[in-house]
Amino acid sequence: MDTDKHGFKNNLLRHETILFVVLAAEWIFFDAIGRNFGTYDNTCDILRHSCEIGLLALAMTPVILTGGIDLSVGSLLGLCAILFGKFWRDAGMPIPLAAACTIGIGALAGGLNATLIAWLRLPPLIVTLGTYSLFRGLAEAITQGVDTFTNFPNSFLFLGQERWLGVPAQALVFIAAVIFFWLLVHRTTFGRSFRAIGFSPEGAHYAGIPVRRRVAMVYVLAGIVSAIAAIIYTARLGQAKADAGTGYELFAITAVVLGGTSIFGGVGSIHGTLLGVAAIAVLHSGIAHALMPGEMAGMLTGVLLILALAGSILPKTISSLRARKSTPRLAKQIP
Amino acid sequence: MKKTFSLLLAATVVVFSGCKKNSEASSGGNITSTPAAKQLTIAFLPKSKGNAYFVSCAKGAQKAADELGVKLIFDGPTDPDPARQNEIVENWITLGVDAIAAACENKEGISTALRKAEAKGIKIITYDADALPDARSFFVNQATPQGIGYALMDEAARLCESNGEFAVITGSLTAQNQIEWQKYIEERRAAAYPNMKSDAVEACDDLKDKAQSETTALLSTYPNLKLILSTTSLGVPGAAEAIKQAGKTGVVKNIGLGLPNENKRYVHDGVTQSVILWKTEDLGYLTVYAADALAKGALKSGDKTFKAGSLGEFEIQGDNIMLGKPFTFNKDNIDQFDF
Repeated sequence: MDTDKHGFKNNLLRHETILFVVLAAEWIFFDAIGRNFGTYDNTCDILRHSCEIGLLALAMTPVILTGGIDLSVGSLLGLCAILFGKFWRDAGMPIPLAAACTIGIGALAGGLNATLIAWLRLPPLIVTLGTYSLFRGLAEAITQGVDTFTNFPNSFLFLGQERWLGVPAQALVFIAAVIFFWLLVHRTTFGRSFRAIGFSPEGAHYAGIPVRRRVAMVYVLAGIVSAIAAIIYTARLGQAKADAGTGYELFAITAVVLGGTSIFGGVGSIHGTLLGVAAIAVLHSGIAHALMPGEMAGMLTGVLLILALAGSILPKTISSLRARKSTPRLAKQIP
Repeated sequence: MKKTFSLLLAATVVVFSGCKKNSEASSGGNITSTPAAKQLTIAFLPKSKGNAYFVSCAKGAQKAADELGVKLIFDGPTDPDPARQNEIVENWITLGVDAIAAACENKEGISTALRKAEAKGIKIITYDADALPDARSFFVNQATPQGIGYALMDEAARLCESNGEFAVITGSLTAQNQIEWQKYIEERRAAAYPNMKSDAVEACDDLKDKAQSETTALLSTYPNLKLILSTTSLGVPGAAEAIKQAGKTGVVKNIGLGLPNENKRYVHDGVTQSVILWKTEDLGYLTVYAADALAKGALKSGDKTFKAGSLGEFEIQGDNIMLGKPFTFNKDNIDQFDF
């Protein structure tokens, strides 16, 4: 965070700046070779398609900032989607009440992760790997894998399929979430405490930060956001089935890491995550519009991730190598 | 840091406001206003892209596209995300294709996207697995339950010379399609082959191992068995393995629904006599011909027959275009098929 001291040149080399240039290049490239890529309609579609993963990535950012990880968000999305369907169809609740209950379930599920991680001190990777299976398994057990919830009222499908004020309806939810998380991470003491915990949990503890409560908070938030994403997903597809959101946790983590958040915690930003989500979403849409085979998207996402990370780390590595030509540090690292 | 962020924000606004205002976005919609010289684009959506079954469908689809001079886009999901098919269809809407032919993984889910495409003037046809009827014009039906049931029973009777005992391996006793096939097998047996007797119907839970152990049990319980008939694709190789290990190759015949590649080895060894399915290439070929005719207005609801290039006439029942009778793969022809 020493950008102010080093001024413009350092700003240019910032990860977010590099990622933004990559994003702009992607846009210009696909607009040139793809049919109807740069249209307003398609921009709306890109937004629609990236809303759920975008939401998960937003919630994942504070989790990773504290040095944790949440692998259960995609499975929780699936569980929340079918529970939402059950509340509405089988329990006969009106949509708003069903949505509220679903968000409650999301908070509870996040609370389970939070309890195991913050109070029982189990490693987040293990805990959420467990709940990743648990939540998906529950969703499959409740529906026997075949029960599908559909025929939702049009007033609800509006949220996922129509535009309001000229933008996709769910984009407004997404924008609200962006503002919330940006303020949380960048403008409150919460955000600073997440970074402190990510750098050193013990240090944060001795600095008077309520580490457990803060860590619990990020997992509960992730649960709530997964539930919101589940509702939007259901509205977008018009169906809720136990396989909803399969693999979304990895897309979200990829977007967060692409956005410059350190997987070890302590460093990262919400706008970086946003750029990461956008870079992947534009790539996916662009490949379809350039009539390239869909599997290219996976390959190019990998290339993008490596290039963007190398691009922002390489200058530092080179300069540090130059600074200590004579003292090879590698030898020191071997114990 | 604040400065960089506002810089990025400003630049984003610049880029996104540069979006074109849908200048060409409606090319899928105004087929009537464009002259016939414009090349049609047909998008062909499989359930999943890596599946050999659909790759083989796409081969036939490409052949039809070449004959018709239309541009064919073949794309489908490569990961298990059920939302992916919707995203692909929605991308095709903005891309402005003329017709979409879809094999639907999630009936209800994809129907929302297909209806949206239809509202934009894109013609929709489904094949292999149908969408909801209001989301498409026609469904290319590869086989009716009656066609499958009758074909299996006829083949069984042919191999047993219409006389003797047989047993059935089914995928599951509760799956709707399996129950229906079983019903038609029994109907055909009772009506046409009274001298044949069905000893047992065993479920293998769509597992090859279980099909093998069930067959082994059947072979010892019913020593007079002349044939095993599987109504699930995993049953055929499973039963074949059991027959082979029991040393009853050729004595007990083995047939069923299945894919040629899974059964080639057993067919050549003489363990399995025939595998029944439809010609997937023909399915793709017919689908693209129908999609093309639909986009050009040559195929309308209420039509009773449809002519598809070199394959000739096909029957239309309601809004289903019938591919016709299932096809029997045996020792003589199985090597010509790769799926």
